[in-house]
Amino acid sequence: MRVRDLAAGRAGDKGSILDLTLVAFDDEAYRTLERALTADVVRGWLHRTVDGPVERYEVPGVRALKFVAGEALGGGLFASLRAGVHWQKAAIWLLLDEEIPG
Amino acid sequence: MVACGAGFAGDRIEPAVEFARSGLVDAVVLECLAERTLIGALEQRRNDPAAGFDRRLKRRLAPLLPWAVHHGVRIVSNLGAANPLAAGEAIVGLAKQLGIDGLRVAVVTGDDLVERADRVRWADPLAAGQWPPWLGVHAYLGMGEIAEAVAEGADVVVTGRTADSALFAGPVAAALDLDDAALAGAMTVGHLLECGGQLTGGNLAASRGRVLSAAELADLGYPLATVLPDGSAEISVLPGKPARIDELGVALQLLYEVHDPSAYLTPDVTLDFSTVRLEQVDDRTVRVHGAGARTRPESLKAVGFLLHPGLVADLEIAYAGDGALARARTAGETMALRLGGLGLTDFRIDHVGVDAVLGGGSRPLVADPVEVRMHVSVRCPTDELAQAAEDELYALTLAGPAGGAGMRSECRVNVEVVSGLVDRDDVVGRVEWCAR
Repeated sequence: MRVRDLAAGRAGDKGSILDLTLVAFDDEAYRTLERALTADVVRGWLHRTVDGPVERYEVPGVRALKFVAGEALGGGLFASLRAGVHWQKAAIWLLLDEEIPG
Repeated sequence: MVACGAGFAGDRIEPAVEFARSGLVDAVVLECLAERTLIGALEQRRNDPAAGFDRRLKRRLAPLLPWAVHHGVRIVSNLGAANPLAAGEAIVGLAKQLGIDGLRVAVVTGDDLVERADRVRWADPLAAGQWPPWLGVHAYLGMGEIAEAVAEGADVVVTGRTADSALFAGPVAAALDLDDAALAGAMTVGHLLECGGQLTGGNLAASRGRVLSAAELADLGYPLATVLPDGSAEISVLPGKPARIDELGVALQLLYEVHDPSAYLTPDVTLDFSTVRLEQVDDRTVRVHGAGARTRPESLKAVGFLLHPGLVADLEIAYAGDGALARARTAGETMALRLGGLGLTDFRIDHVGVDAVLGGGSRPLVADPVEVRMHVSVRCPTDELAQAAEDELYALTLAGPAGGAGMRSECRVNVEVVSGLVDRDDVVGRVEWCAR
């Protein structure tokens, strides 16, 4: 099972902060994601692409998890040398494509 | 009822026109000022003091103003960018051209802090002593001046840098007598609406639910919201417009770029989204309620743009056919050697179609790609070196691996974005009226 089987997602940014949101399809999916996607697990996934700490926030009222990487986009988007200045808009796939234990 | 007619400077023109033509909404907001857009506007103002507002002003407002005036729909927009007063004058001039008399245009000023950059507490104090010149410094204003302008009868309110959500909350505040709950509701609606089609089915990565067709996306309904005095709101689109409006999509946008959901800072209030509840009312309406309001933040957010010398050159060349990836890699290695020969060391080489976007987090290739673009972005300390780097790309077509094709190159200013906090007392927002 992949994360995308359980949740929808969107990536955003502000300054050097990469901000990822997942919203689970139902309560059971939320509980599965809440268990599987610890801040440590997600940090491991993100660190193949960006550096720095990763903070997790839970929002059970709307079945959402947020992962905020505060130093991922150093100097802001416009300082980036990565192909495509707005590459971070695709960054949610760093989570959606990952396998988790069912 | 407030609607989002545009969610960034280059957004579609007709959603706003359709809202105004419907006569169903009280205000149409055009959010047209991302940081990148403001950087461009500041560059234009640097070259011409009369410029620096949204260059699409006429194209966007010419079809919109007649309908807005006809139905008494207010327009609120940050398309003033780096020069809101000049934008206000341009709108008055445009109204005259269109034969519209007596249009009341209010301009919100006071966000430009470039003369007071030393009053900002920058997040990176180490760099503070050795910074290059400012391209610009701006505070994020709140909804106060916008609400004041609307209450005093403005037909059009044009601003520079404000919190995007304040553009929407301003006209709501003028219409409702806002207590804390209603203020929280109005700002929440502003936050939900500010990205336009992203709330109604655009940019939605979901493997479940309705998938919008190309024809539906091409005619996507942009969001509108009915805000009630208790702070609850209903999100929908105009009748007949295609859209996907469900709890999933609204939840994604509610939490978009907010970082800590229990403490989302806006200039007017700290919002708590952890208590928000969403309910599907019908297949095109979601009800939002329960956002919490905490005290107003002590300071305002400020953003600064530091202008480093030189340019960043973005260079790309394509390879196709058997061995495309191997040839693209050779091209990248060749460029690295040539750029090194120019003394350029701050560059990155990517392979578009392989791992240019997600880097090491990309899924592995299952077969050799049949075409690849080799991409180089290189920071160049002078404009001359940027030109030399660009030339090196084109030299690959004759002196590099076989079949280099589809070259493109562009240079962008080398701007660093920094953020900080500024005391409210150092920021004086004002409403100024343009002569009719």
